[in-house]
Amino acid sequence: MIQRVLVANRGEIACRILRACREAGLSSVAIYAQNDQEGMFRELADQSVLLEGDSIAETYLNGAAIIQAAKDTGADAIHPGFGFLSERAEFAQAVMDAGLIWIGPSPQAIEQMGDKMSARQIMKAAGVPVIPGVEIEEEDEALAMEAIRNAAKETGYPLLLKATAGGGGKGMRVVNAPDELQNGAQSARREALAAFGDGRVYVEKLLMKSKHVEVQVLADTHGRCIHLGERECSVQRRHQKVFEEAPCSTMTSSLRERMGQAAVAAAKAVDYVGAGTVEFLLAEDESFYFLEMNTRIQVEHPVTEMVTGVDLVREQLRIANGEPMSVDHLNIRGHSIEVRLYAEDATNNFLPAIGPLAVFRPPTGPGIRLDTGVREGDEVTPHYDPMLAKLIVFAPTREEALQRMRRALDEFVVLGTTTNIGFLRDLCDVPEVVSGDTYTSMIDDLYPNGYQFLPRQDDLDVALMTAAVAETTGMHRATVASSHGSVGVASPFQTLNRRYP
Amino acid sequence: MLHEFRYGGETYDVLLERTPKIWTFANHCAHPREDGRIRIYFEDGTKAWAHVAKVGDVWWVHHSGRIFTLERIEAGASSDEHQGGLVAPMPGVVLEVLVTAGQSVEAGQTLMILEAMKMEHRIVASESGLVTSVHFNAGDRVEQGANLLDVEASE
Repeated sequence: MIQRVLVANRGEIACRILRACREAGLSSVAIYAQNDQEGMFRELADQSVLLEGDSIAETYLNGAAIIQAAKDTGADAIHPGFGFLSERAEFAQAVMDAGLIWIGPSPQAIEQMGDKMSARQIMKAAGVPVIPGVEIEEEDEALAMEAIRNAAKETGYPLLLKATAGGGGKGMRVVNAPDELQNGAQSARREALAAFGDGRVYVEKLLMKSKHVEVQVLADTHGRCIHLGERECSVQRRHQKVFEEAPCSTMTSSLRERMGQAAVAAAKAVDYVGAGTVEFLLAEDESFYFLEMNTRIQVEHPVTEMVTGVDLVREQLRIANGEPMSVDHLNIRGHSIEVRLYAEDATNNFLPAIGPLAVFRPPTGPGIRLDTGVREGDEVTPHYDPMLAKLIVFAPTREEALQRMRRALDEFVVLGTTTNIGFLRDLCDVPEVVSGDTYTSMIDDLYPNGYQFLPRQDDLDVALMTAAVAETTGMHRATVASSHGSVGVASPFQTLNRRYP
Repeated sequence: MLHEFRYGGETYDVLLERTPKIWTFANHCAHPREDGRIRIYFEDGTKAWAHVAKVGDVWWVHHSGRIFTLERIEAGASSDEHQGGLVAPMPGVVLEVLVTAGQSVEAGQTLMILEAMKMEHRIVASESGLVTSVHFNAGDRVEQGANLLDVEASE
């Protein structure tokens, strides 16, 4: 029986899990780095353990020290949250070897899903659709071209040529029609050979205007494995989700059933236990393809909780404790939207920002949930992920949920640190978002030269008047001496040690 | 009261007018509260709130769902794109002295004109008050940062 849970994470998700522990009557242990000494998550734990060191390798990624902290405090289970060690199979194994309960799937499942190629093979074998594609093994130029031509017939156009060894866009070519294939293939192979010393390419069907739709699954140790419907997370910037909703605006009940069954098959193929997410690309013709499985709780899990009424973190605790899940029939009602509040400058290529949270006044009222790990007076530092909070709304319909989100964002006051609140608010008025016709490259298409904000003259006048009145009357109550100078924007070089869950 | 702010690369002059408890600017009125908020009154009778906090030299203002970061330019601060305050923004020559000691001046009123770097710079009163002393005459050379004249603000 789990009695004391160590939460191997920080910030917002640590708060979420620590609160779930409190609600479940479990005692809890937080771990923290020195630079998180004032972190809100520490206050939500019954005790906390300092992990010495300045780098995350010494703190939140230090598996040995974390397991030792669990032993020292008498914790009997470890919840990894997301990011950090949550998808490291060797850490999951070490936790179990230490005689502790790992709140998550087996190390084998993490490993099988963690490797993209092996996951693809396992999914194919399980009958889960994968993006049609063919690996070209031939090294010889003429033979390779022949194989690529045959592969193209199989996948159809448009298609994508990718370097098998590569990443980062090197050796990648979009081919729209058969007559472009020869040139595209030759240059992709040349580039791949130059960049990776390996000219092998991979031919994949290119899905235009596709949606990112993921299915939440839950499996217990009593043989039950179910899906909890989908989330749509198509609105992304730099491959980072910013706007997530459930259900997907274009979902039909028959498609949900098919995607749900595919997700359950994916989970069963690796004997999955706990909460997990199977990510798909959904094409315009309702065909869908496996992308990857996240073997952990996800950032956007609250929208599923809102529309299903299931507390996913509580279910994780229950399942890890060997109990059957408490979920009955899937009953999706209403609509939920989540936006991720980042400390970043949307008008400057989403550069992470730092500074004090001189004022942090979240919206309140019906249908609003805020999951955050910060409060007024905290300092946003360059040490960690710049996500400050997740603002989640729930309403009977998608239209009302969007109206509620606009209202909530207008009410949200964050002063002292640059955030993306204004950008998120503008997103709510984008025609594609209003109609639900969102797709993964939408933000790039909307703002080819970067997002800009031009205030209305009236609003700027009011702001100028407000600042002048505040200055004149000495409204320095809310004044904060910044340790980072005036308007803090972090150097991009300082962000390299971050992990974005 | 005259204030200068920088926003989005532009410089803005804000000359507030004051009736007993209410400040006005650009047809809007403001009434400050003690909790870091300011009540805004519009011409059409509607009202709104603005939240405000100062971090370093920057006023952060939240109004109508938008956040503005307005960097306050100190009166007299050295800056090539603003008109300066009561100290010389750079070394130069006094071209004209427009006030005398004992004279009342309004916020925004030009007190002195300097020539420096082949450009004219106006020295402007940042608030209404009484000129208590003038330290230079027309034709005088002044060093950067020299105190040109003193104005005692009226309350």
